[in-house]
Amino acid sequence: MVGDTRFVSLPSADARLYLGAVRAAQIVGGILLPVLRSIATVAVQLLAVSIVAFVVLRLLPADPLAMMLPPNATIEDAERMRHAFGLDRPILEQFWIWLVQAVQGDFGKSIQSSVPVSKLILTALPTTIELAVFGLLLGIAAGFVLGIVTFHYRGTALERVCETAASLSQSIPEFLWGILFILVFGLGLHLLPFIGPIDARVIVPSHTGFLFIDTAWNGQWDAFGNHLLHLVMPAFALAMLKAALIMRLLRSSLIETYREDYVNAARLRGVGERRILFHHALRNAVLPTVTLIGVQAAHTFGGTLLIEAIYSLPGLGNLMIGAIRTQDLPLIQGILLTYCGMVLLLNRSVDLTYRWLNPRLRAA
Amino acid sequence: MERDTASALAQPPLLEAVHLTVESGGTKVLRDLSFALPHGRILGLIGESGAGKSMVGRVIANQLPPGFAVSAGSLFFETDDLLALPPDAHRKLLGRRIAFVPQEPMSALNPALTIGQHFAEHLARLEVPKSDRRGVTLEALADMRLASPERVVDQYPFQLSGGMCQRVLLALAFVSKPDLVIADEPTASLDATTQVHIIGLLRNLQSKYGTGVLFITHQLRLAAHLCDDVAVLYAGEIVEYGAAGTVFRRPRHPYSRALEGANPRFAGPWRQLLSPPGHMPGLNELRDLAGCRFAPRCASSTEACLAETPALRVPAENVAVRCIHDNAMPATEPGVVAPVRAVTDAAAVPLLQVDNVFKSFQGSGLFTRRRKNLAINGVSLSIAAGEFVGIVGETGSGKSTLGRIVMGIEKPTAGRILLDGKPIGDSTADWRRRIQSVQLVFQDPRSALNPRRTVMRLVTQPLQATPQLRPDLENRAAVLLEDTGLPADVASRLPSQISGGQCQRVNIARGLCAMPRLLIADEIASGLDVSVQAQILNLLLRLRRENQIALLMISHDLAVIRYLCSRVIVMCRGEIVESGTTEAIFASPQHPYTRELISAVPPEDLSRRWPLPA
Amino acid sequence: MIRKLPKPLDEPRVLIGASALLAIVVVAILAPVLAPHDPNHQDLLQILVPPFWQEGAEAGFPLGTDGLGRCVLSRLIYGARVAVIVGSVVPIGTVLLGTTIAIVAGYFGGKIDWAVSRTVDVWMSFPPVVLSLVLMVGLSPGLRNVILATVLVDWTRFCRVTRGAILGVMKLDYVASARIAGASHVQVMLRDLLPAVFPIIITLFSVEIGIAVVVESVLSFVGVSVSPAIPTWGSMIADGLVTVFQEPWGLAFPVSMIIVTVLGANMLGDGLRVRLDSHHATRLGADL
Repeated sequence: MVGDTRFVSLPSADARLYLGAVRAAQIVGGILLPVLRSIATVAVQLLAVSIVAFVVLRLLPADPLAMMLPPNATIEDAERMRHAFGLDRPILEQFWIWLVQAVQGDFGKSIQSSVPVSKLILTALPTTIELAVFGLLLGIAAGFVLGIVTFHYRGTALERVCETAASLSQSIPEFLWGILFILVFGLGLHLLPFIGPIDARVIVPSHTGFLFIDTAWNGQWDAFGNHLLHLVMPAFALAMLKAALIMRLLRSSLIETYREDYVNAARLRGVGERRILFHHALRNAVLPTVTLIGVQAAHTFGGTLLIEAIYSLPGLGNLMIGAIRTQDLPLIQGILLTYCGMVLLLNRSVDLTYRWLNPRLRAA
Repeated sequence: MERDTASALAQPPLLEAVHLTVESGGTKVLRDLSFALPHGRILGLIGESGAGKSMVGRVIANQLPPGFAVSAGSLFFETDDLLALPPDAHRKLLGRRIAFVPQEPMSALNPALTIGQHFAEHLARLEVPKSDRRGVTLEALADMRLASPERVVDQYPFQLSGGMCQRVLLALAFVSKPDLVIADEPTASLDATTQVHIIGLLRNLQSKYGTGVLFITHQLRLAAHLCDDVAVLYAGEIVEYGAAGTVFRRPRHPYSRALEGANPRFAGPWRQLLSPPGHMPGLNELRDLAGCRFAPRCASSTEACLAETPALRVPAENVAVRCIHDNAMPATEPGVVAPVRAVTDAAAVPLLQVDNVFKSFQGSGLFTRRRKNLAINGVSLSIAAGEFVGIVGETGSGKSTLGRIVMGIEKPTAGRILLDGKPIGDSTADWRRRIQSVQLVFQDPRSALNPRRTVMRLVTQPLQATPQLRPDLENRAAVLLEDTGLPADVASRLPSQISGGQCQRVNIARGLCAMPRLLIADEIASGLDVSVQAQILNLLLRLRRENQIALLMISHDLAVIRYLCSRVIVMCRGEIVESGTTEAIFASPQHPYTRELISAVPPEDLSRRWPLPA
Repeated sequence: MIRKLPKPLDEPRVLIGASALLAIVVVAILAPVLAPHDPNHQDLLQILVPPFWQEGAEAGFPLGTDGLGRCVLSRLIYGARVAVIVGSVVPIGTVLLGTTIAIVAGYFGGKIDWAVSRTVDVWMSFPPVVLSLVLMVGLSPGLRNVILATVLVDWTRFCRVTRGAILGVMKLDYVASARIAGASHVQVMLRDLLPAVFPIIITLFSVEIGIAVVVESVLSFVGVSVSPAIPTWGSMIADGLVTVFQEPWGLAFPVSMIIVTVLGANMLGDGLRVRLDSHHATRLGADL
């Protein structure tokens, strides 16, 4: 009987333990697993991407050495150079060597400047990330506000005005927006600076390479503001397309969501219109918009390349253009993969956001 | 008059429509609707699609579609005229004193919110203190006999079945103890056995709280069991109104009789279905209808019917009829005949054999777990030439998958299909052999028709693969259209320009084009109105008489199977649980699942209590 | 009942968009007649002449000259030629490549579809601008390679959108119906799938006209497009950016030309989509 009572009292503690284990398993399954899965997916994708990049650059007929050799170089000179860069080995071996080094963060040396590619990229990366994040946030914010406003005022003149503006904004590519802004606000109205990331006279001691962080770190708030002013036009140029796309998609998915039975069912329970919009409809309508940001990830970083060129920002884009003009293959390859890495990371984080926002996936 | 039919009570009715008329572009889509729903009673609004029954709910909700407006009459909720109420005051009633139970439970709950969040929002509006809300929610859910309310509260709608969603919606509707509940086809999208539970719950709640219920449905027999009074709607008018039993036992209006005559019976002697010609007039056809709106389809219509709109008459106690003819007895009582059954030769090789077929679906993905889902679990059956076999079962029983496997659109995981005793393989020659002998008609008539082809090109689609037959296309199309009862002038139309019933006839015509020996019909009448369904069922019977075709009828509707088939196969979760002749199975079902299916059919005899209390 | 033919020209956007594109085509064809100067002729005595409405304008150069003394108007007119060739060949290439792959993948599903989707995913993780630049490095400059590179980058957009639409159609029973009515796989793809996604293809096609022109100008801007001897709007932008402080109009003209082209293409696409969709709009539900 003693054994029996013990046996009876135990299960509750066991059950708690068991529930705790279940809860832990749920956390692992619900949060950790998707993250781990994302990392694995990104790794596989990066491998695929690097294969494509390698094939494109090494199998296509370009000859980077031809440009580097002096005009009077002999065939032996060329061979020596080829050997020095390892270009005379079998293509698979070249790829393997390159891959092993790349995994260790070594993308080789720039043919042009002999500086390690990774160092060049790390110097340029912060500028590009600042620009992309600023532009993206601006586009998302504007797109959401305008999307909700045009939905709310659907059927009015305001909607038509916004709609026309959106289709105009969408029709002009980012780099042309960049040029138009320079012509109007830079040269025409002298409102905003448009050369470089910050006025040339300002000297910012570097800690991270991110000018926003460095100026704040040093307490150089004037320089912080100056940098912000310099980024306003490039960021807006990047945001124009995104804002238009998000506005249109959010509005149309709101319209679609309002056709769903549950919106009407809420109305029939007497729920007010404002609450229907923000509590019921927006939660569902926002999902396709999130997907769009992921789909647009590649485009975002493509846009930064040209914007950097136009606004003379020392980011990856300008580095890439320089590398292309000098056919600096190791550098091109390194930058290409960096771009893809950023695209995939943005894609993944959008994916995780989507998973977090969509109970269907969260609960699955 | 209305007050007389409903039992006369001292207090004013809960809901009363007085000459309510709704117009759209000058057309009266609801004409002169008058009815009264006393407190604590159930009024059924019955009609086929297009009758205007859902429009009544929309008027109460103050949600008429754009372009529609109430042009005359009034609608009283106790003493308030709902049409004259300011929007804010109207909204105050919704969810508190007037609640709605929607048609599609799965889509009527917000997929981004848990069940608990739905209740929290609603209870906050009802000013239930925050600390009490979870308790109230759990209690309300427990009232719906949901197995584990604590779990359901934290679940999302998509994690629940359709029946569970409808229980949640019932709980939401009744949690404020409303005076009036409008239930618009609350069980139309549910399985029959689930429907029984929902109807039972609705009646319990209604009697517990003394709620008045406006029950909108197309099922006359269901309404007869549930409702106190019924109003039969046709083309936006009440054509018959009275006590449910009276109207059901002795329908007086020709349309009510036609509805009853078109509905296959599940008990009593087999009788030929009768159905009025044509279809419910659409919005743009209503304008041209002078006089009685049913007259063009009515067998007993006369000149006088077209002269002016008939008024509601009271031919007997507790019933009102909108017909000038005093034909209390049906003009043509459907003949009671022996069921049309095919004679099959037991010794011959079966036309089709299904030999121990399995089918499993599995999810795939690089990192996701694979989950096996057995849809068909070792099914064997055979069909003789000219035999009509029915497969019954509910959602998820695998009956549709089986049909697709027999047709060859879906590949079995294991097992064989034999045609004339010879197994069908994967070769092109075998595929030809199969589609020459077997054809499938899909459930959704519109989805199965390419919207960019004309009817003529659709019905002759099987011949277009054979170039030498092309010259005969037009002749063949004309014959097929006539065989399936379609007017010749639809040949040049697109599927979007003909009605749903006509679309299904086009599908059948296409199935018959190459003269197959076996037709698989996958729920082909389930999306259609009763009168159109009757036309399709009779068409199949006629085809057997004329063409000696065999039929594999897949349906959830036992009465339809009983009407058509000589043999029944009952499927449940991918397995055959029972099979035998129709008469034997329905008279003495052996398997508990078959018994449950049969008990879910509302009985003919109104004195039998249905649904039985749980 | 009479079947109404779609009347795309009723839609003002179609009319405006098509006229703009047509005008550019005409200008490109008639370039030798219209251009007042040889687009590459350098008049080093007349550099950075402003357009005609400004002070210091020269009668011979209505839109002024660039930093090398070349006639801006003539270069704009000749620049239309590359734009027209790229804007007409690239969309055809992307439609053929992208749509074919999408229909095959969507129809057969399974492993083929998996492989195509993964390929598209990998392809789309390259920023399109960056990928086309790198492809041009590999392929070496020239008009043919510009077209090739753009098609190789842009087919994925067609593929992804069309495949999505095909999967939507595959959910309908009429594809299976066509199969059991005896149609072959090719017949189903051509008669049932292709017509269903045709409105989408037309829309994407017109939008791609603009995209192709933009991509070419980007490549020219970076200097990896056609040979420097051929004037393009992109190279004019690159040149104009250098002298933007002295003469901003040299930048404004080529930018406007690209905007007009893209806007025209997008309006055409939008208008056609509206037209083609409404043509197949299902009739109003008869249920009251």
